[in-house]
Order: sequence, then structure tokens, then C-alpha cells
Amino acid sequence: MSITRRVFLRNSALAVVGTTAIPAFLTRAASGTEAMGIKGKRLVVIFQRGAADGLNIVVPHAEPAYYAMRPSINIPRKAVLDLDGFFGLHPSMSAFLPLWRQQHLAIVHATGSPDPTRSHFDAQDFMESGTPGVKATDDGWLNRALRSVPSSKDKAAFRAIALGPSLPRILSGSEPAVALNNISDFGVGGRNPNATPIANTFEAMYAQSVDSVLHGTGQETFEAVRMLKSADPSKYSPAPGADYPRGRFGDSLKQLAQLIKANLGVQVAFADIGGWDHHVNEGSTQGQIANILGEFSQSLAAFWTDLGDLGEDTVVVTMSEFGRTARENGNRGTDHGHANVMFVLGGPVKGGKVYGKWPGLDQAQLYEGRDLAVTTDFRRVVGEAVYRHLGNRNLEQVFPGFENRPETFLKLLG
Amino acid sequence: MRFGPRKVAPIVLLALLGFTISAQLALGKKKDRQGSATQMNDQKRALHALNRLTFGPRPGDVQRVTAMGVDQWIDQQLHPERINDSALDARLTPFRTLNMDTRELVENFPPPQLIKAVEQGKQRLPSDPTKRAVYEDQMDRLQERQERKQEAANADPGGADAAQGKVTDAERAQRRERRREADRRLEQLLDLPPERRMQQVLKMSPEERRALSAALSLRVDQRDAFLEGMNPQQRETLMALNNPQQVVTSELMQGKLLRAIYSDRQLEEVMTDFWFNHFNVFIGKAADRYLIPSYERDVIRPHALGKFEDLLVATAQSPAMLFYLDNWLSVGPNSDVANGILNRRKHAPKDAPIKQAKGKRSGLNENYGRELMELHTLGVNGGYTQKDVTEVARVFTGWTLKRPKQGTGFTFEARMHEPGDKIVLDHRIKSNGEKEGREVLHILAHHPSTARFVCTKLAMRFVSDTPPPPLVDRMAHTFLKKDGDIREVLKTMLQSPEFWSTDAYRAKVKTPLEFVVSAVRASGAEVSDAMPLARQLETMGMPLYGMQPPTGYSMKASAWVNSAALLGRMNFALALTTGKLRGVETSPEGVLGGNGAPNDSMQTLAELEDRLLAGDVSKQTHDTIAAQMDDPKISQRRLDDPARPPNLGAVAGLILGSPEFQRR
Repeated sequence: MSITRRVFLRNSALAVVGTTAIPAFLTRAASGTEAMGIKGKRLVVIFQRGAADGLNIVVPHAEPAYYAMRPSINIPRKAVLDLDGFFGLHPSMSAFLPLWRQQHLAIVHATGSPDPTRSHFDAQDFMESGTPGVKATDDGWLNRALRSVPSSKDKAAFRAIALGPSLPRILSGSEPAVALNNISDFGVGGRNPNATPIANTFEAMYAQSVDSVLHGTGQETFEAVRMLKSADPSKYSPAPGADYPRGRFGDSLKQLAQLIKANLGVQVAFADIGGWDHHVNEGSTQGQIANILGEFSQSLAAFWTDLGDLGEDTVVVTMSEFGRTARENGNRGTDHGHANVMFVLGGPVKGGKVYGKWPGLDQAQLYEGRDLAVTTDFRRVVGEAVYRHLGNRNLEQVFPGFENRPETFLKLLG
Repeated sequence: MRFGPRKVAPIVLLALLGFTISAQLALGKKKDRQGSATQMNDQKRALHALNRLTFGPRPGDVQRVTAMGVDQWIDQQLHPERINDSALDARLTPFRTLNMDTRELVENFPPPQLIKAVEQGKQRLPSDPTKRAVYEDQMDRLQERQERKQEAANADPGGADAAQGKVTDAERAQRRERRREADRRLEQLLDLPPERRMQQVLKMSPEERRALSAALSLRVDQRDAFLEGMNPQQRETLMALNNPQQVVTSELMQGKLLRAIYSDRQLEEVMTDFWFNHFNVFIGKAADRYLIPSYERDVIRPHALGKFEDLLVATAQSPAMLFYLDNWLSVGPNSDVANGILNRRKHAPKDAPIKQAKGKRSGLNENYGRELMELHTLGVNGGYTQKDVTEVARVFTGWTLKRPKQGTGFTFEARMHEPGDKIVLDHRIKSNGEKEGREVLHILAHHPSTARFVCTKLAMRFVSDTPPPPLVDRMAHTFLKKDGDIREVLKTMLQSPEFWSTDAYRAKVKTPLEFVVSAVRASGAEVSDAMPLARQLETMGMPLYGMQPPTGYSMKASAWVNSAALLGRMNFALALTTGKLRGVETSPEGVLGGNGAPNDSMQTLAELEDRLLAGDVSKQTHDTIAAQMDDPKISQRRLDDPARPPNLGAVAGLILGSPEFQRR
């Protein structure tokens, strides 16, 4: 896989050299490819906002207690997509099965934040700041993860991006990060062709400004706008077989794939998907959870297919603020719980395996007598990706106060 | 009273220290406006004061403040009660919810829980026909949602398509027919006088009304015609029929923006915004949507320039904060409630907090205790321990709400309160029920760490992202000496050389809220609907009342200067000045103060710079725009009609999107 891609890139880079008709930008991008596309690693973080029900996503179908506690919303053994004889995927996640079989997809169960909060907003906050229990942290771990990581010389404007209207907490901080809602809106004056002289005037104004902060950001911004315009990511239509389902999440990942394929130097990226808070009528093989899991898994599978060989340098990690109660409640739903499940997908992932220590679902094994217990801190999982994939050795800065030595990693990445 | 160490000092400072900056800034100006050094510095002083104590100068403000005297003007702003704000009050009159208490809000604009309760027969349907219509429509919607859910749940795998929105031809034809019927109905109603129109609407069935509101949502111009001549209550009712919660949110947000844009009590608004952010609550957390109007109006604004302890106590007992930081659920582990002694009183009201608290949590909730010290008073390094957090949480057990979702206020519930003495920051707090909390708030409000933490934040808002320590020291000293008097602390700051130092001039990058409001103020825009502005703030990452974590929004440049944000600002500036924002009207004449566009393009530019940036524009910005003034795409001058004055919208947009305008 890697050979084909490298050969192709080298050839295309050669092809560019000496072709005068090609704009300077493309030459730069192509030569940048050598630096960023091959050496450059990417970490994509997906947040399932609203507390996904991990026990109905990766189902412990060999646990009798699971069926006892969820009489109406369990996933029957015969419907589960078995993974290893103990765990199985929810049946609407069949799009994940090929990734699992190719060993690109790993699962970490009973993972989460050690903080006991069951408040959505506190728990999301902690997972994004990377400092459970500490509210005063004003930046996010995914931003800090970039701090000691070298970027290409021309300071790629798209190093850190979030798909959405504003920069999420996880990406806020001292490293430049771009929030992008819609590729086609990223510029001055939208698609109005008359806006170009206005955009140029703004650019000149910021380029010449003596205001160092705004000057710098202005330059990055217009560099990003220009890069985006020249690279024209919209021309990268999804690869054959990459069928993104309709909806915001699919759109986000489709655009992210376009940015990556346009070789804009994306190193970390973030997207989220809401709608997991199923207190009432959660459903089992059909219903609310089945629908959203279909969207979730099909979008990610399409993203993976779409990336093609670029997937080799990509690691995707999913997370959700906490899990849900082991028992179903009186409304055929579940309430806020504790531990959850994370998916790790990517080229260097040693997939086809469920990682983590399973704490069990017997009454005495449940956290506070009601929830799946956390046996793997989420920072252990993402810490490994930051350390081994992005190559940031300074984990104490990324996750202050958390002991995260390499020998404690789950060794998810090869 | 005088502000600033003698008037001469800042001028000398400006002249000496600020030479490079003012030289750069002055270069961009036309010679005739340079004037003498004294005048320029006076003007700069007025501009600086306006930039820091208001949401940005309007055209002419600098001259007005200079004429009045900067010190006098500051003194006036420090006493908002002396400023007549009747023009703003008139603008706010249509927003009836701004004067309602929480109970009235809930009753008039019922949240989903209340609709459910009525549907289940737990609450009665109101008898007032207007309210009744609102409830009935919501119940109708609720029922439809439930039916749809039921269908989806019952659907077999093969039939799932039907439930997931695949429509048959017959259904499509039926929908078309219904739309046509609604359009006919709409036409008939538009022919009626407003009063009769409203009566007819209230007489319709919920189904008919929904078809009507669907028809209206498709036709913006007809909606305006439909609302024409209706009084505020009727307008609110029409919106409530569609979505009652939206009335509350929309009026709250519009109220905030209109105050920021039009209030003459600018410092009071700036401080209200500051304290709301300091004692942040989040509109997205369930009941808080209904609790925030009163929180801002009754808790924050009255104390914005008062005593810190009063403000602290008011927030501690506010339903919005008790709900947001979960203290209303916190139960002492050894309290009567925890021990199962539920019915000491004979007729314990059904639904009392105890029951709810018992169901959800039966223990201590440290959320408020921690934030109280970390974010509201001492600061994270203010010298408290985890033990203090737990002890403070024990102190505040029993500070609760009866039914937050229905608007009941603060109550102390002794049966939830943890018995026994507590030790907080080495003080022994004797077992004393509700008064323990008051004692702890008093200790915290007068703690040196609190003085330092609060004054640092104030100096960050008003002086710079990294305020000079000696200034913070003097402010904290005043804080402790004057019993936490916020007005006195501000005076100390406003009399400091640090505030007037050239280092502080335009040192602050505007937050999105400050940017949007200052741009609207500078352009002299007339806002008839502020919601488009609120939506702009959302896309800029600063939704009003929308900060989920209790930390509030950052005041530092680092949080707000990024690529998407900058593009957002440039696009907003252009949209504003070229009339692309619905509900916000600007005209070149308005921007130019009714003088019309001068024919000389350089003179026009100078005029715009004067009005939008108080003339303080950098040479770089000026030259860049000047070089483009004759580009027809920018001046929008018609080549076939050179006599026609240029459209200045784009030029004004360039100035509002310039680096200078991003700072205050």
C-alpha cells in the first residue's frame, strides 16, 4: 500500500517540476508533500456529544448480567455482530466489520474520565481540556498536543482544524487552529466574484499592518484562503465506494477528507456528532440508537475509504463524555453513567482486538452500584496517539498531572 | 473629581513614550487634521476612555466627551442612575418578557415539561384563550411527535422507509393541498384589520394554526405584513404558538444587544456583561433558559457597580446559579433527608425538593463549593484545599429550590442541611443553618485572594491581557479597604497612570461581542431586529449566554484571534455596511452622518476614517484603502454615470474589518 502511494507522489512531484503552466502554489504544495504528506501524521478526534451508550454499541454479549439488566433494550445475542466471542458490534454498525477484519479498527472498552461527574457539560469540558476535575484549564489537549510537534516551514494554516462553526474547547489554545463550517464559505465575500478586490485589499491591509498579532493571523488567514482556493478541495469528490450518509456528521467528514486529500497539511482535526442522550425509548436493534449508529459508522467507514492510501498516516479516535447506566430505566432508555467505549481507527493501529480490562457487570463490579467502571483512562488512549503517532514526547504538557509513561500504553499502535 | 494624575502628566507621557506609535498612527492622517499636540492627545484620551468604558464610540462621541471633559464623563458613567436612558427603555418596551418574573415566563411561554404535565393531566390547561391556544398548539405538536416515534418504533425493518420520511404520492398530494389551503387562509387573514386577524387565529384549530405558521415561515415579507399593526403581546403570542421557548430566548438576546448598542449607561452595561461572565451560567442547561432573564436583571445589573459581597450573596441565592452548579441537589450525608427522615413536617408538599434530590443524588454535590472558590472568589491558586471544597459544600447543603422548572425561588431546606460545625479556610463555622453560608460568603468576599483575583480580572478587561502587577496591587488594596466597593476599585484603576499609559492604548483585541456591537455603534445602524446579530455571534464562537463551562468567555486576544474568526469579522463588517444583515439598517448617509458623500474620494475616505476610527488610522491601512478607492468594484462607482456618488458601503466595511478596528 505505502509503496504505491510513495511512487505516485514522487512521480507527481517530478511531473510538476518544470511545468511552467502550473501555478506556484501547486508546486509548493507538491514539494510540501514530501515533508507533510509522508512524514506528516494526522490525528482525527471524533466526539459523540450527549453520552453514547457504550454497552449497546460494543455489546458484551457473553455477560448474562447485561441481558438481565436490560430486558427491553438489549441487543440479542443472535443479532450482535460478533467480534471475539465475548463482545460484538451493534447490528447497524456492519460498516465497521471490514475495518475490524483488516485490523485497522481497534476498540477500547470500559474507558473514560476518572472524574465522577455525570453532568454532560462538565464531563465534555474535562474530556476536551484533558484535565478531569480541573475547570480552570483554558486550553484544550488537542491544541497542546501540537505544541512540541514540528510543522512544515511555511506554517501550514490548516495544521489544526475543527469542522463546525466555532473552535471547540479541545482545539483552543496557543497553536493556530481553524474552525471551518463549510469549505465554500471560507473566504471574504463568499462566492461573490466581485468580492475579490475587497479580499485583496483586506489582505494587503493585514500584510502591511504593524500590529504583530493581527498581522500574523491575517497572513495565516489569507494564506489559508489562498491555499484553499488554489487547492480547490471541492474537486476532490469522494473516492469510489466512499458513500457518506446524509447529515452534518457525514458532511463534516467528507469535507475533512477533501482538505486532507488537497494536501493542506492537516495534522490534527476534530468533528463531532450529537444526539446520543437516549433517556427515553433508546431502542435496541431498531430505533434511535440504531439510526445514529448507522450514521456514525457509515460516515467513518466512508471517510476511511475516501482517504485511501492517506489513511496509512491517519489515526482516528472517538470519544464520548461518559457512558450510560448499566440498567435500563423506567422509560426504556438509560441515564447518565460512567465508563464508555472508544474506537481507534487508522493505518498504524493494531486492530481487530478489544483492548482494556473488562471490569464486569455484576452488582459488586459496577461503579457506584450502577455504571460500568472505568478501567482505562481516556488520556491513556489518546496519550498513546499523541506520543507515538504525532511524535509529541511531552505528554506532561499535553495532560498535566497525569502519569502517562509509554510503558503504560495499551500498545494500540504498531 | 479628577481622573488621571494631573492632566499634564498623560500628555507628557503620550508625547514621550508614545512617540513611535503616535508617529505611525499620525502618518496616515491628513495634515489638516493633525492639529496641535495638545488637542490630539486630548482626543486620544477621550477615545481611549470610550473604547474601554463603553461598547465602542458612536460617531461624534469623541467630540462630545472631549467637550464635556473626560473626567466628568467618567464620573457620570460611574453613576448610571444619573443618566437618562429613556430612549433605550422605549426600544425595550415591546419585549415584555424582560419584565416578567420566572413564574410568569413559564406560564406564558411553557417549556416542554409543562406541556407534558398538562397533557398527562398533572397541570390544568389555562383558561385564558390566548394562553390556551399556545398550550394547545404545543400539545398538538407533542402528540404528533409521540405518534411519529411510536410509528418508528413499531415499524418492521421492511417498513422502516415509511417511518423515515419516504413519502407516498398520495401523501405528497395531500400536503400540497394543505399548503394551498393555508395560503388561501393567509390571504384572507391579511385582508382583516390586525385585531380581527388575531381573533381569527385564536379561533382556529391547532392544526390550522400550524399550517398557517408553516405558510408564514416560508414567506418572510408576508410575515412582516401579518405582524403589521399588532401590539407586542400579539406578536409574542404568534411566535409562541410556533415555539414558546423561542420568545424567551429571543427577547433576552435582543435585550442584551440593544442595551449594549443603545444604552447611554454604557459602563453599567459593560460591567453587567463582565459580572455575568464572571458568574457565568449557561442558557442551554434546562431550566436556566427561564432563569436567566431574572438573573441578569435582578441579580447582576443592580450590583454591577455596588459591593462585591452583595453581588456574591445574590448569585449564591439565585435560582439560575443554584440550578447551574447543581447546589440545589446537594444533600448533607448526615442530614434528615439522607437518614430517611422525610416527613417530619406533617404535610410535606408533594414534589418537594427532597424527593427529587433523593431520587437523583443523595449526597454532597461539590460543584458549587468548588466554583465558588475557584472562579467566583479566591481563584484557583487562592489558597484553598480539597478539604475546603468539601467543607464549603457541606455548608451550602440545604440552599435549594423547590421547583426550579416552574420558577420558584431560593429556599433554605433544613432537612437537607448537614449538621455540625465546619472548618473553612481555618475558620470554624459554628453549626447555624442557613447563616453558615452567609458567614462563608462574608469570609470569601473579604479575603485578600479574592481582592487580587477579582481585581486582576477587572484590569484584564479594562487595561490589558497582562495587567501591570503594581496596578492590581493598588486596586486590591482599595477593594479590601473599601469593603469590596466595585465603583471605588474602578476609580483607583481609572486614576492610575497604567490605565492612561500608551502601552494600554488599543492594547485589547475586541471579543466577538465587543467587535459586533462596536461596529454597529460606529456605523450608526438602526437595529429593528437584533437576532441576526445574535446569530452572527454564534458563528463567531461567542453565542450570547452560550458559554457552557462556568469559566465564562476568555477576555484575552489569544482566544479570539484565529483565521475563521478574522474572516468572520471581515465578512460581518462588509455585510453590515452593505446592508446585507436583515433587521440592521445602515446607509452611506448614516455612516457619513447625513452629510452625503463628498465627491472627492480622498475626502470621503478621510471622512469615513474620522467617523469609524475617530480618525486614528494607521498609514498602512489608509494607504491600502486609498489605493483602491478608484476601483469601481470597491467604490461601486458606475462607469456609465460618473456623476453618481460612489457607494461607500464596501469602503466602510474595509475600515471596520481593518486591524485597527479589531482593537479597543
